[in-house]
Amino acid sequence: MTPNQSPLKIGVVGLGKMGIMHACLLNTMPNVEVQALCDKSRLIRTIAKRSFKDATVTDSLDKFADLNLDAIYMLTPIPIHYPLIKQIYTKKLAKHIFVEKTLTSNYNQSAELSTIAQTQDSITMVGYMKRFSTTFNQAKQLLEEQAIGKPESFKAYAFSSDFANTPKSTPASNARGGVIEDLGSHIADLAVWFFGDLTVTDTKINSQLSPTSEDDLSFNVTTKQGLPGHFDVSWCKQNYRMPEFNLSIQGTTGNLDVNDDEVKLTLKNSPPKHWYRHDMNDNVGFLLGGPEYYRENQYFIQSILSKTPPESNFKNTLSVDYLLEQVRRQSK
Amino acid sequence: MNHNPLRLIVGDNPFHGISHLSQQRARERTPPQTPQTTQQAAHIVERSVENGANGFMFSVDETTLAIIQQLRKNHPTSKTNLYAIAPYAYAYVRKATQTGGVSGLAMNFARNMLFSSNAKVITTNLGGLAQFNPSALLKTYTAYELSRIKSAAGNDAHIESFMLHEIITDMALALNMESLFKEYITFLENRHIRPGFETRNFSILIDKFNHWNIDLSKLTLTSSFNKVGFQMCPSKRECEEALKRAGGAEIIAMSVLAAGYLKPIEAVDYLTNLEGVSGAVIGVSGEHQADETFRVFRECC
Repeated sequence: MTPNQSPLKIGVVGLGKMGIMHACLLNTMPNVEVQALCDKSRLIRTIAKRSFKDATVTDSLDKFADLNLDAIYMLTPIPIHYPLIKQIYTKKLAKHIFVEKTLTSNYNQSAELSTIAQTQDSITMVGYMKRFSTTFNQAKQLLEEQAIGKPESFKAYAFSSDFANTPKSTPASNARGGVIEDLGSHIADLAVWFFGDLTVTDTKINSQLSPTSEDDLSFNVTTKQGLPGHFDVSWCKQNYRMPEFNLSIQGTTGNLDVNDDEVKLTLKNSPPKHWYRHDMNDNVGFLLGGPEYYRENQYFIQSILSKTPPESNFKNTLSVDYLLEQVRRQSK
Repeated sequence: MNHNPLRLIVGDNPFHGISHLSQQRARERTPPQTPQTTQQAAHIVERSVENGANGFMFSVDETTLAIIQQLRKNHPTSKTNLYAIAPYAYAYVRKATQTGGVSGLAMNFARNMLFSSNAKVITTNLGGLAQFNPSALLKTYTAYELSRIKSAAGNDAHIESFMLHEIITDMALALNMESLFKEYITFLENRHIRPGFETRNFSILIDKFNHWNIDLSKLTLTSSFNKVGFQMCPSKRECEEALKRAGGAEIIAMSVLAAGYLKPIEAVDYLTNLEGVSGAVIGVSGEHQADETFRVFRECC
């Protein structure tokens, strides 16, 4: 931000866990003002009014109309991203949009929003925060340097215990849009980021909480170059206290394993190498929730200020939506 | 150079299956919770105390309260110095996931507090609670957690400090909630409990508290301090320099072993050369580790 540039005015929609965290982080940034908050819950709005004293707090997105906002953070449950983002563009409530992943619940809706965003010159970003993890960045760099030669196959998983011991028919899991959007999208995004577009060859879904919920699934993919990959995704796994994302890549000269905590490089003709987050300067300006969140917010704000489209904008992340759509279709 | 002996505190992370180095490692090391694991954990705390630990720092939840109950059962007359941290964020985040979000969690939680908390606190804060005032909610919540601790450890429990978990401390810091911090401090002081804060943003907290004229000498502050700068935000250097502005606060260093990345002797070497740190909290997962780790720290600090 240049010295005379006024701070960016931001609105936040949805004050759940992610909404509160993003609003707090944005409030620590020097070039940002959180000017408006929107949530359906009266209780949450009342607490928000007392915590964000200078912000307009409302239950209706339409109330953002007169605030001249630069950007809106869309942090509601996934199933309502589409109508609300469309409303932002139609009513010109703000020019730029950050949305917590995934962009929408289906590919066609995401593609439509991507087209609208391009016609309106909107800077957009989907919150695939794992791209801001030091370990996954290190692994991507090693892959690009061909540290394991030519990749021959990969395995990926995304596991959590969020619903490991919950009773069947728990409604909260359906509200979150199913495990493929909620958890699987992160690992799908990482794989697309690493290898490019993926085509799903077969899918297996195990619904554990209710007949219609996607709780546990596996699927196989292939890249345009023919690299095969396998995914396992579940939020019903025991002993995954925190969600865990892992990629294991087999190459012609070695293997590369990466998760949120560490990177392991096992080579055929030289000693293995092992890095932890501790080795990669993981510190950020303000730590809340995880360093990735601060970095992704900083990157989005900088993208608006520099008028540069973020790498994970609506258009580029359509590849992830397309992958998830294939999984959903094949599972029916 | 730190000349005063460090206060050594045994931490509870291993009992929750937490490793900030590797979740995979934590999974491999954590047995399922049973009465035997509670007894074993209590035994590890006792061994740590025998080897020089001065207290037990824990997040308030069913696992740690069961350990404290076990300690009380094993030694009815001897009181362990307790450093409580609340809320146990992980449990509440998970509950929010399962109850359909933050508002579902808040309603659930409000019900629990109303039915189990101190009637006097609720009556005093009734106006604030009715208006969902964050300070009133925090004070009522604190009373609720204190009642849970006392029910496990006994009414004469020795609570050295009651600390606000980093997630609440750092959110309130991000939102510049000066009055919330001040009311929370006064609330605990009136109950003769030392107020404390756990934070991942130590230098920012110190600067804001100084700006708000909060008397740091009355507080216990727990934050990461280690040789490799792990979770020392915004930087290792800024956190170390902030120690000079900490105004006599009791500073407890956490992550001193950087979650097992460093050897005890490396941690000792770093801490003994760091002016301003009063103590260190160290998690141990077995008796042998308790013996070795606390012996090294006791001999060198």
